[in-house]
Amino acid sequence: MSLPDRIDPPPARHIYRWDLDKTYLQTDFDSLRQLVRTALQKASQKTAVPGAAALIRELGAAGDSRLCIISGSPTQLRKVLEEKLKLDGVEWDELVLKDNVSNLLRGRFRALRGQVGYKLPVLLESRARAPVEAEEVLFGDDAEADAFIYSLYADLIAGRVEEPVLAQVLKAAEVYPEDAARILAAWHTVPRADPVRRIFIMLDRLTPPAYFGRYGPRVVPIFNYFQAALVLLGDGLLTPTQVVRVAADMVQTAGYNLITLSNSFQDLLRRGLPLQAVAAPLVQALEGALQGPDKLLAALRPVPDIVKAFTRRVAALGATPPLPPATRVDYLQLLDDARPRGKLRSRAARGVRSSK
Amino acid sequence: MALRATTIAFDVMGGDHGPAEVVRGAALLSLEAPHIHALLVGDGQVIEEALATTRHNAERISVHHAPTFVAMHEKPASALADKPEASVLVAARLVADGEADALVSCGNTGAGVLASARTFRLLAGVRRAALASVYPTRTGHGENQDPFSLILDVGANVDAIADDLVTFAVMGSAYARIISKNPNPTVALLSNGTEATKGPPRVVEANQKLANHPGVRFVGNVEGVDIPKGTADVVVTDGFVGNVCLKMLEGVSETVVELARYAYASRLRWRMGLWMLANGLSQLKDLTDWQQYGGAPVLGFDKLFIKAHGRSRARAIANAGKVAAKAVSSDLAQAIQAGLG
Repeated sequence: MSLPDRIDPPPARHIYRWDLDKTYLQTDFDSLRQLVRTALQKASQKTAVPGAAALIRELGAAGDSRLCIISGSPTQLRKVLEEKLKLDGVEWDELVLKDNVSNLLRGRFRALRGQVGYKLPVLLESRARAPVEAEEVLFGDDAEADAFIYSLYADLIAGRVEEPVLAQVLKAAEVYPEDAARILAAWHTVPRADPVRRIFIMLDRLTPPAYFGRYGPRVVPIFNYFQAALVLLGDGLLTPTQVVRVAADMVQTAGYNLITLSNSFQDLLRRGLPLQAVAAPLVQALEGALQGPDKLLAALRPVPDIVKAFTRRVAALGATPPLPPATRVDYLQLLDDARPRGKLRSRAARGVRSSK
Repeated sequence: MALRATTIAFDVMGGDHGPAEVVRGAALLSLEAPHIHALLVGDGQVIEEALATTRHNAERISVHHAPTFVAMHEKPASALADKPEASVLVAARLVADGEADALVSCGNTGAGVLASARTFRLLAGVRRAALASVYPTRTGHGENQDPFSLILDVGANVDAIADDLVTFAVMGSAYARIISKNPNPTVALLSNGTEATKGPPRVVEANQKLANHPGVRFVGNVEGVDIPKGTADVVVTDGFVGNVCLKMLEGVSETVVELARYAYASRLRWRMGLWMLANGLSQLKDLTDWQQYGGAPVLGFDKLFIKAHGRSRARAIANAGKVAAKAVSSDLAQAIQAGLG
């Protein structure tokens, strides 16, 4: 028997799509000065949102996933962004940046800030290349139109959006005709499937979570990546030990503590996410991990304290509310979300993340 | 200096503006004070509905469900007896159990004081706790020259003996030192004359004791007229007189506003005069706005209870939380205990 000429990697079973600014990176470009400062930052000066790199590493640990990053950052920052990702130990499969110089030279001024005409075709084209059975989890933030675009993308490939509705959305979002054509072309080549399981929206601007209720329970607003890890544990995409590792990373690198983490857990329960079942496996993972050689986990506080804090938060709620039912998203009612959002100071600018 | 992480339990129910206003105050606190965690006690569903539509940082907020609450019109003792799971009592128990460091409530004052009395311990040497309140004065006090003085007791007890008044003086002095950043606050007894022999026997006796007290900068007796003047940083009296004084000060303040409204509506010349003074009046209002100062502390227990005004809006609630956190991180109870010897 002869060996094959090459061994292809197994097809991806999971695709994780991430935005960069304010989702993976703590970025402030709400003013011109901040924009210039961000543009001139070296890779070592850029800071990731606590837990983001750890979560990405854990999601990729099984080796059956793809990491696709799509960012509104200009292509000129590719080198520094790639360097930053490498510094954080993040391995990616796609990194798409926005060619704003080209937009400027061609007089496409609306495209400079527009998100729908930029992200939607990239997402659909990437999906067209992906295995049809690959499931997706998307990560964005509340600073731009991520919840709208990701939901629209998910419903487009699932066949839940009619073409006239899409046309109206693209018109309202002031998408250039050539971008609209790209979107339609890519959409028609994507096999119909319903692969998007979750859309996480990092609340960089601390938008009230109820704001995203209009997108249904698939969209989960999060205050930190420990919350995302908990939901993904509930979804079976992470193991309890992996969640503990994400938490430990946040404790060590960003000053998170027992109170902030247990509060984050309770917040999800209050919003109706069915996470009561993850508590017991988490406790087991903690107990097991602390006896192992993992130094990161050994840095955690005594297990009984952790268990007590989490148990109290659950008990304090009494009855937890049910998850809101899934509803069909009415994109025509949500057109305002497709436009760049008004100015609200980010968490980093308010110093909210800097000290726990 | 890094601020100590503190957890403040908020009795969410019972305020004049409803639970949502208290939730908004705690939400504001979660955005402004990274070292303070808010533990919201009340109807879990109501709290979550308010939180979900309010900008907040969930990392600094947790909720403890309490199924009932004491309304403003209810009699404290019987209400607490009938409702052992009332939010203010549950919140006080959580503080006593160490789940939180202090309690803030804008609900029924009597219920709050009684819940504190039932769950917290009196400091050694304290026979009765006192409710203290800040009030606007003509002169500034402390490091920040705040135009406020402290008066206690304003209603936790109706009666007080001389030793209670001495204890109140020590407690008020410690509070002014820590919260108003006034390193050596002046303390006076409220009486019907400045002479040491004036007043009822308990006041005369307290005067003698305070005159020789090493931990209190006692400046003698003051009269009612000295209260708004701000002659002393801390004014000590019993709960009956203190409550009457406080209500009278509030009444005068409201009457002045009413008179200004009347003047504004009556004559064009008066209206123009008020219009010209508007900026100054607005600054004066901001300076003397009680909402800036959060609430009235109940002093004398091992744990702190801040009684926020029933009409408190979110800003006042947030400030009450900040005052509570400041008192906790500055070890107010320990300072009082040290003053009592």
